Amino acid sequence: MPKITYIVDGQTAVTVDAAVGNSVMQVAVRNDVGSIVGECGGNAMCATCHVYVEEGPVDSLPAVSAAESEMLDCTLSPRESNSRLSCQLPVTDLYDGLVVRVAQEQV
Amino acid sequence: MTVSTSPVDIPRSSLDVFTDAALLDPWAGYRELRDQGPVVFLDRYGMHAATRYSAVSHILRTPDVFISGEGVMMNDESNQMIRGNTLCSDGEEHATSRGVVVKPLTPKALRPLQEEIRTQARDLVDRLTARGQFDAVTDLAQYLPVTIVSNLVGLPEEGRERMLLWASESFNSCGPLNERALNSFPVLGEMVEYATTQAVPGKLKPGSWAEAVFLAADRGEVAKERCPMMMMDYMGPSLDTTIFAISSAVWLFARHPDQWDLIRQNPSLIPGAINEVLRMESPLQCFSRKVAVDTEVDGVALEAGSRVITYYGAANRDERQYPEPDRFDITRNPTDHLGFGAGPHACVGMNLARLEMRSLFEELAAKVERFEVLSETRALNNVLRGFASLDVAVHV
Repeated sequence: MPKITYIVDGQTAVTVDAAVGNSVMQVAVRNDVGSIVGECGGNAMCATCHVYVEEGPVDSLPAVSAAESEMLDCTLSPRESNSRLSCQLPVTDLYDGLVVRVAQEQV
Repeated sequence: MTVSTSPVDIPRSSLDVFTDAALLDPWAGYRELRDQGPVVFLDRYGMHAATRYSAVSHILRTPDVFISGEGVMMNDESNQMIRGNTLCSDGEEHATSRGVVVKPLTPKALRPLQEEIRTQARDLVDRLTARGQFDAVTDLAQYLPVTIVSNLVGLPEEGRERMLLWASESFNSCGPLNERALNSFPVLGEMVEYATTQAVPGKLKPGSWAEAVFLAADRGEVAKERCPMMMMDYMGPSLDTTIFAISSAVWLFARHPDQWDLIRQNPSLIPGAINEVLRMESPLQCFSRKVAVDTEVDGVALEAGSRVITYYGAANRDERQYPEPDRFDITRNPTDHLGFGAGPHACVGMNLARLEMRSLFEELAAKVERFEVLSETRALNNVLRGFASLDVAVHV
């Protein structure tokens, strides 16, 4: 199972096994990683699962869709070039070693 | 959703899911269908019904196979009548018009409205608690959608008094071709006529959401001829769905005072409680999708050209997804519920609906100790679930 690392509160690294098919948001919620809310259930509608993609297989991630981009303009923590909504990142085996920093402000 | 074995033939059911009795109390029927299989063919209607959570979620999140462009209603007539609105479109066309419609409904766009909605909610709850008794539908639930939201949409005043009727009848028209759907067609026609001839530049409120759609067309962001149908995106769904959700929430809290106590002790539970209300009593119980290519869902084969009803209400009560699904538990916080749908067509107004509900229930939690239902009348609608009237006494 691919492993994903979440950096929480800007410092604590939490590495979890990520079930293929779940989104990076769902993996975080199911593992109580913290800070990721996912209020809209993974539909790119609420911008409460904002992460910054830091390192790992970043080229394996899907491109930002128009809907995701629209919502990334609404994040509370500022949008950066590596900002993503983690609900829009469906885990594949290629995600092994992905490191994301969870945005501190979500709601 | 891949399986190693070859798909099995679809189970069949003679159950009629659209009788008055089934609509008023659908849970046993939903369970029967869920237990038969992930998708079941309804002999009575010639359509499939997806009722398990995993099946409904898969269908909604696989829009290339389960398309909306040939309509999401359950009869050809209404699928023809509202052809071209955002709900009934796919791919790039859908993304373009949704991108315009969603603009005023993003969290950021709604932020400046929060204070006004909160203030209106506070004043309303003050007035109603002072009266002690009120109709949770007409006095409470309809207030914010009708006064604030319809104003923001900005359609011309003439005809706006018909909006509530248009809303409920446009949802009735979504059902299979039964009496309820047939009776709704003249009203749906009236709504389309209004969208085409009245909801037009010059008649729309300056600065409104409706006007913004036409301005986006002027900038070339969306085709001009799509604008009338995009008016429909705002006209129906902004009212009844939220109204039904609010009345169902009051009804649930009246029946489960222990859960209301939890909220009064800790109002931060309200967003999660709203999710639980929407899971238990999904205001919109179902839409449908056309199957574009031969496919399978959890091992059951579906043929290209068939239509499958996606039962949000049944999926949200699936014991395979939610332990003790019929128990109202506000600490469950099921953010993955399908009450707003899922995938690219997930409810575009969900942030606004949540804001309206949160504002009302925060105010109610601060003042109301108990809701007591004095009388209740459920609304009978092909796809909506909620109340026509709900008289309550509040103990403060």
